[in-house]
Amino acid sequence: MPPKAKVSSKAKEAASKTKEPEAPPPKTANERTAQRYYQTNPCEKRREEVGLHGLTPTERQTWANAFFLPLIVSKEVLLSHKSDREFWKQVGKESLPVRRLSRARKQHHAWGRDRHGRDVGELSPEDFDRRSLQQARLAALEALHSRFVQRRELAGLRLTRPGSSDSAAHEDVTPEEVEEDRQRRKEMAALKSELYGEKMGTYAQDPEWDDVTPIPADEPEGALAAIAYPDDYAEAISYLRAVMAAEEYSPRTLRLTEHVISLNAAHYTVWLYRFKIVQALDLSIPDEIEWLNQVSLENLKNYQIWHHRQLLLDHYHAQISANADADALKKLARSESEFLRLILDEDTKNYHVWSYRQSLVRKLGLWTPQELAATQSFIEDDVRNNSAWHHRFFLVFCDPAASTPGCHATEHDPAVPAETVDREVRYAQEKAALAPQNQAAWNYLRGVLAKGARPLASAEEFAARFVEGVGEGEGREKVRSSHALVFLADVWVEKGEKEKAALYLSRLAEKWDPIRAGYWNYRKQQIAA
Amino acid sequence: MASSTSQNTSTRPVENRDEDDGFVDVPEDDGPRHASPAVPKLFTEPPPIHEEYSTDTLTVQTQTMNECVEHLAANSMELDYNHRGVPRLRREAHIKFLKKQLGTLPAPFLVADASRPWFLFWCLNGLALLGEDTTSYRQQVIATAKSMQNPTGGFGGGHGQMSHLATTFAVVLALALVGGEEAYEVIDRKTLWRWLCSLKEPDGGVQMVYGGEVDIRGAYCTAVIVGLLNMPRELSPDSPAYSPDGNTTLFTGLAEYIRRCQTFEGGISGRPDAEAHGAYAFCALACLAILDAPHRIIPKYLDLPRLISWLSSRQYAPEGGFSGRTNKLVDGCYSHWLGGCWPLIDAALNGASDLDDPESKPQPSTDLVDWYSREGLIRYILCCAQDESKRGGLRDKPSSSSDAYHSCYVLSGLSTAQYKWGLTYFNEDEMLLAEPTWKVTPRVDDSQIYDQQDRVEAIHPTYTIPDQKFYDMQGYFASKAGF
Repeated sequence: MPPKAKVSSKAKEAASKTKEPEAPPPKTANERTAQRYYQTNPCEKRREEVGLHGLTPTERQTWANAFFLPLIVSKEVLLSHKSDREFWKQVGKESLPVRRLSRARKQHHAWGRDRHGRDVGELSPEDFDRRSLQQARLAALEALHSRFVQRRELAGLRLTRPGSSDSAAHEDVTPEEVEEDRQRRKEMAALKSELYGEKMGTYAQDPEWDDVTPIPADEPEGALAAIAYPDDYAEAISYLRAVMAAEEYSPRTLRLTEHVISLNAAHYTVWLYRFKIVQALDLSIPDEIEWLNQVSLENLKNYQIWHHRQLLLDHYHAQISANADADALKKLARSESEFLRLILDEDTKNYHVWSYRQSLVRKLGLWTPQELAATQSFIEDDVRNNSAWHHRFFLVFCDPAASTPGCHATEHDPAVPAETVDREVRYAQEKAALAPQNQAAWNYLRGVLAKGARPLASAEEFAARFVEGVGEGEGREKVRSSHALVFLADVWVEKGEKEKAALYLSRLAEKWDPIRAGYWNYRKQQIAA
Repeated sequence: MASSTSQNTSTRPVENRDEDDGFVDVPEDDGPRHASPAVPKLFTEPPPIHEEYSTDTLTVQTQTMNECVEHLAANSMELDYNHRGVPRLRREAHIKFLKKQLGTLPAPFLVADASRPWFLFWCLNGLALLGEDTTSYRQQVIATAKSMQNPTGGFGGGHGQMSHLATTFAVVLALALVGGEEAYEVIDRKTLWRWLCSLKEPDGGVQMVYGGEVDIRGAYCTAVIVGLLNMPRELSPDSPAYSPDGNTTLFTGLAEYIRRCQTFEGGISGRPDAEAHGAYAFCALACLAILDAPHRIIPKYLDLPRLISWLSSRQYAPEGGFSGRTNKLVDGCYSHWLGGCWPLIDAALNGASDLDDPESKPQPSTDLVDWYSREGLIRYILCCAQDESKRGGLRDKPSSSSDAYHSCYVLSGLSTAQYKWGLTYFNEDEMLLAEPTWKVTPRVDDSQIYDQQDRVEAIHPTYTIPDQKFYDMQGYFASKAGF
């Protein structure tokens, strides 16, 4: 290696100055770390660029001095007295840093990733510093929070063991402290979310729920039709499992059921649990119904809601009947009818609502003109609404005061007054005339005639109004109602006019209702037999 | 009956463009496209009686009719039709759809959190009907079923949910569908029996869940579970319906309860006093047919002529599909709920045709009766109830999206329409049986408007799963002594 010309120390200083130009301000935390590393490791950057042998002897000397400095300081390397003095002289002259950042720190400055998966080291120094402050804040909050939990646990221990005398130190936590911790957790949740994207659920944040250990879903590997639960639902039902297992019936569990229902109203278990809570806490049923009304309007197709209402109705009815509270009974009938009108306006054929209405009538004995009028208004609005027709039939023919209990729906009931049968025949005919192809009215008419043991022939004239020239060929045969045609066919069967009946059935099969040809032909076979 | 006389083999509609050519410059897609001549007018034209009096019911009925006719006309340029104007069963697309529904479901499905067992049953039954091997799902079904099982007996909708008859029914059938001893043994018959007994009410009804509603589904689910698992019918002493004389059983009062559900229209409601509804009609008839031979029990408890009249009224033209209630719209799922009633009605009227005392047969044989238009139903299923897109699956009607529920029940309805079920006193080995049993044969007649390869598997008329799956599970438990 060729010896290099000696350079004066002044020149050396100048050289080292030019070698370490003022670096531009770092753009990221990683850059800042790198800069700091080079600042504490003189000539290191040059060495990386050109290698140890590429350095000038002076540079090499500086680099070596810097390298040995920490080792000598820590007495890992011992020098003779003379060398030691010479070494420190050089160190002083070059103002070498006694402490320096380690190589490892520079190469693996892993700051981790933020909630978006970005390398934290790529943050700007300002953002990085802000993040560090937040982390410090979170650590402090966590310390305070665990102190709160610990203090409350100790207070709880003292409560369960009132005899213990070291109680002075474990005073009850005050409501202010609880509130303070609630706020603290809010802040912690926000910080955790911002720093790490970790969700801290509503219940985990709430000191009121600290005594409950949630039971998370026990979903086996490869479970079928598993649902990717949103976080809030997953948390709520894990608390639900826990409080149900503990058979807790309390205001907070009532609120929990409300929360779960708002997320998934089809969760039958939570509804049954809610009813138990309502019973256990002896809550006001009208209040519960009031709440339920809103839920019902938001979940029109739901099944569970109507069973809950049914349970409330039975429970409340038993209460007010026991107190012989006639006013409450009237009020209940009124408010229920009012709500049913409201919800049926939204969905006029809702099966669950009408079923509930039938049980309401039975329970409260609403075999009243008002109920009949309310039903009638649905038929007036849409004469084809079969649910309303059905309810009318139920009101008229199941009224215990004017029917035989247990009488089958398609059988004659001698307890039904003749005037009732007359009135209903008239009603059915009046409505059938409006829209003769409306089967609801015809089914009703048949049902009424059966209840009254009236022959079908008693409505023969009426049915004949919708039918003309049957079997007399195209052009002369006019049918405004296929149901009238069937009705007449049955009239002919009743009268023993088999051929005429067969003709009518044939015309149904061929022309007026051919999709049911198989059935009409079967009926013809039966007549012939 | 308007029937197509032409056996046009063209798979494309013949465009009647003569008048328009060179006369008016009409863009091709505008104006009504003509229905394929291969399709009978019954399915492409409005019913012969037109009614003016307008109400909401008529408005939605007309809309539905129009959307169905559009599909029934068999003139879409994107689809291939056979010579009867019927598109193919999209087997592969439906299989893909059902498999996807068995996988992890996205967050909006959380409202189905209490009905996950149904997803198992619907998807697996759909796949089995399509001829897919469901046994590959065995381990997953076992693990999933266990996570829904309660130590007090029965299965809930998921971990931490109460045992429910509907979810238990679905889990038991899902286990039957994957089959095998390991799957069967997931069921703890003893606790299940005890739990069933706790739901039985003194008046004969059955609660769906402890503290829950009593309805006809309870009767049906009980009959299926007891029948499939060969459970004792006696009640446990802690049952609310237990009587010390031992005269009440799990089945006591069920038939009477069902009778109370028949309405003045002839149909059957979900519970006494309510409106007649197709889904409940099936539950009622299938329950009765499990309790006793259909020809003995059904005429005994129900007004059969009124029931048949009501059932028959459920099929509409031109749609071809079934509606669930009077004046309601057609819906693909009733292909099963109502279509499935017909084999039971048939059996109720015919008895075991090969060997039965004549007086138990009140009617002349209905062997040759077509109770409903199979052609209509099959057209509705293949034209209107199949999703035509990449999504696959089956649906309520053309304007609705496919889902697992409709896929299962539309395919079940297709199966009912493609096979003939009857009762016989002879088993496969020509041995005489004490009680009649079901036998099935593929239906081959003019109603076969579909291609032979579009025949799905046969399902049992009361247990609603492919019959071999039913016999395997029932046989397994029948040969097991005690609990």
